[in-house]
Amino acid sequence: MMARLSRRAILRALGWGAAGITATVGTACSLMPTLPPRDAPTTADLAAWISLRPDGMVEILSTRVEMGQGIAIALRQIAADELGLDIDQVRWVPPDTARIPVCRATVGSDSVRETGPLIARAAAALAQAIKAEAARRMNAAPAALAIGPGGVAGPDGRTLALADIAAGRAIHVSEAEIAAAGTALSAGRRRLVGASPPPQDIDAVVTGARALYADDIRLPGMVFGARIRPAGLTAEIAAIDDSACRAIPGYLGLFRDGNVAGIVATRRGALAQARAALVVSETAGHPTTSADIMRQVAVDDGAAGREHTILARGDTAGPFDIDLTLSVPLAAHAAIEPRTAVARFDADGRLEIWTGTQDAFFVRNTIADALGLARARVVVHAMRIGGGFGARTIVAAEMDAALLARACGRPVKVQWNRRDEFQAGFHRPPSVHRVALAADGDGNIARWHHGFRSGHIIFTSAAMGPVLQMATSLAADPGVARGAVPPYAAAAIRVEFEDVRLPVMTGPWRGLGAAANIWAMETAIDALARAKGRDPLSFRLQAIAPQHARLRAVLAAVAEMSGWAAGRGDLGLACGIYKDMSYAAAVAQVTRDGGRYRVAKLWCAQDCGLVVNPGQVRAQIEGNLVWGIGMALAEELAVADGRVAPESFFDYPLPRFSDVPDIEIRLIEGSSVPTGAGETAIVCGTAAITNAIAALTGRTVTRLPVAAA
Amino acid sequence: MDFTLNNRPVAVPEDEGDEPLLFVLRDRFGLNGPRFGCGVGSCGACTVVVDGQAQRACTLPVAAIAGRAVVTLEGIATDGGLHPLQQAWIAERVPQCGYCQNGQIMTAYAQLSAQPDADAAQVAQAMDEVLCRCGTQMRIRRAIASAQRALGQAR
Repeated sequence: MMARLSRRAILRALGWGAAGITATVGTACSLMPTLPPRDAPTTADLAAWISLRPDGMVEILSTRVEMGQGIAIALRQIAADELGLDIDQVRWVPPDTARIPVCRATVGSDSVRETGPLIARAAAALAQAIKAEAARRMNAAPAALAIGPGGVAGPDGRTLALADIAAGRAIHVSEAEIAAAGTALSAGRRRLVGASPPPQDIDAVVTGARALYADDIRLPGMVFGARIRPAGLTAEIAAIDDSACRAIPGYLGLFRDGNVAGIVATRRGALAQARAALVVSETAGHPTTSADIMRQVAVDDGAAGREHTILARGDTAGPFDIDLTLSVPLAAHAAIEPRTAVARFDADGRLEIWTGTQDAFFVRNTIADALGLARARVVVHAMRIGGGFGARTIVAAEMDAALLARACGRPVKVQWNRRDEFQAGFHRPPSVHRVALAADGDGNIARWHHGFRSGHIIFTSAAMGPVLQMATSLAADPGVARGAVPPYAAAAIRVEFEDVRLPVMTGPWRGLGAAANIWAMETAIDALARAKGRDPLSFRLQAIAPQHARLRAVLAAVAEMSGWAAGRGDLGLACGIYKDMSYAAAVAQVTRDGGRYRVAKLWCAQDCGLVVNPGQVRAQIEGNLVWGIGMALAEELAVADGRVAPESFFDYPLPRFSDVPDIEIRLIEGSSVPTGAGETAIVCGTAAITNAIAALTGRTVTRLPVAAA
Repeated sequence: MDFTLNNRPVAVPEDEGDEPLLFVLRDRFGLNGPRFGCGVGSCGACTVVVDGQAQRACTLPVAAIAGRAVVTLEGIATDGGLHPLQQAWIAERVPQCGYCQNGQIMTAYAQLSAQPDADAAQVAQAMDEVLCRCGTQMRIRRAIASAQRALGQAR
């Protein structure tokens, strides 16, 4: 007990607070951010986020970064509706630590859910502020004014352009105006919310016309750097010999800062040549393999109690109708953009960083603390991210660039190469699940026991030093637990897990634990239905707990869309709830094609509440389902001889163009607020595919990925 | 060392002949279209078109394109506006993160330039070589079909 209390004290001191750690896992964990918790936005924060600029544009200073999920266009749609303006009259500015108060990270499918209603509120307050200023200038009552795309119209037919109202002085909102504004998206004003205007910067994406990503930042005098890291998971650098690099034109040298070493060149081609010519010797690490790592998450005693209990009700001692051991391997994020950052010190020692990060303030604070700079003297400009998926939640290339910029005295761009991405990045932890279920003669679930073991996700060794790792060693990793509470009613239920510190860096990957946990649960319930001779659809509809009517609705919808028929041999079904808020169900049609399985068609129904931009929400569903194809049929990150083996996409297969079938989607708006779409459909795609394979073969898929038919 | 970049003659110092074309385009000429994804030709994000052929700019030394004509994403629009592929990419809302889309568009551009009536299997064969992690493949398929229709009507 004493040990536990002292760990809590350490965690509090480190900024994690007691609540997030000691709260029981389960529903509470869905509220845990990936990184040290930050307070909810205040009215003062909201007031800083929106203004009318002297050029007549409304400007949103975003707390969330754009990485293809569509947060920028969604916030513009919401603000434009509240203000009665056109979409092109609202400008979106990406996160910048110099311009906004400290804010939360872009994680957890939270961006629209959390900031959408707040932007609506701030925009409603701005409308009042604009009217107040217009009323003063027009000598009219604010209530008699109306805002439209042409400006503010008065009772006498006069109109003041927005640029005239803000001429010389931007219009800001006060906390009092925020407090007086409504707290929700107002349904009555919707013109753009519910439509699909083109997402932010799509024109620049298809033309290359503007700088979007960190690699598009080019500074005078900028050079290119690479940090030298050991290839082995547990190895350390013993010696670096750069004598062969010195003949390379453009090579500037080897720089050291503490125990960090890196090389710098004026050209990227020279840098790549120098990396190849560098002689790096490292200590012999442990020769870990994939099999060693899987053994560390093995569950061979499914009935025994595990470290962390999520649910325990009734007696779950057998007998069981099915008892499955299901395994999910290590997997990579494999975003196409490698981690990239540019760092520049000015003459006064202030540091500026440009980087595609999901958490600009975490980058700022971590680097400021590490370099001994006041946090206010470090500014992080968050650039568009070329694929986030959880990988950009910690500090990586940013630290490399900052240290090398300090060491060599010039602005430095660090772009990880693909081998860095695999070997120095962190990955989805492997997990093994023992799921034992029993149903009574009426098809009601009598016993549900799910015990699993996984590498860490939130308490990742990739971001935590030894002290935090020790402090969290007894705490339940809420990322691992995510999604493990089944939506099904069971007379007796036990859900428990262990989180294991693995010799490979693991962390948040799309959907966190929910991707693996719900795959395991949906595999098991499908197997249970088949063992009982029941149609997997009707069996689920009967088993879903009464409070989850929205899950039943998406399941019924996808069954109708796909022409689901009991006994059809090539379809698979799965469903799930993400973060207790969003609901999705999918059907997959799978065929055998020359020694492998091919997904021929996918259907998905999703209820993520109010849909701001259906085109973007559908895109998120498509993306999650394609990730499901990868999880089911392709993705496994191999570890061999003590290192992550892949060095390029040649060694890490992703779903390709012809692996992706037509995808049919239906959106159901089961709530008046948005509840999150970025990861939701990760809960159903994989199991729909593997359940279709089970329908084809009569054998339950117990190991991901399914390589051959 | 001279070559043509988007119909414009350009020169690179002889002693930088082994610099990969991708870095010359991005760092010397300031282009944002071609992007670095893997450096070894395994993803296609860097794709440019050299004398009509889709090529991986990350593995192509700039010396290898002396005297040849390079077209990048920045060079496919005409005075009349965006190329039909670019228009279709916007109309179908193809990009998510957008990082790979240069390679998708340039690969489709090379194929439709050589083979305007490419059928679905031929399109798939070309597009299988370019990775997208966000899962935009279905929209890419629709956008290419839509651009083929637009190009067909223009002929």
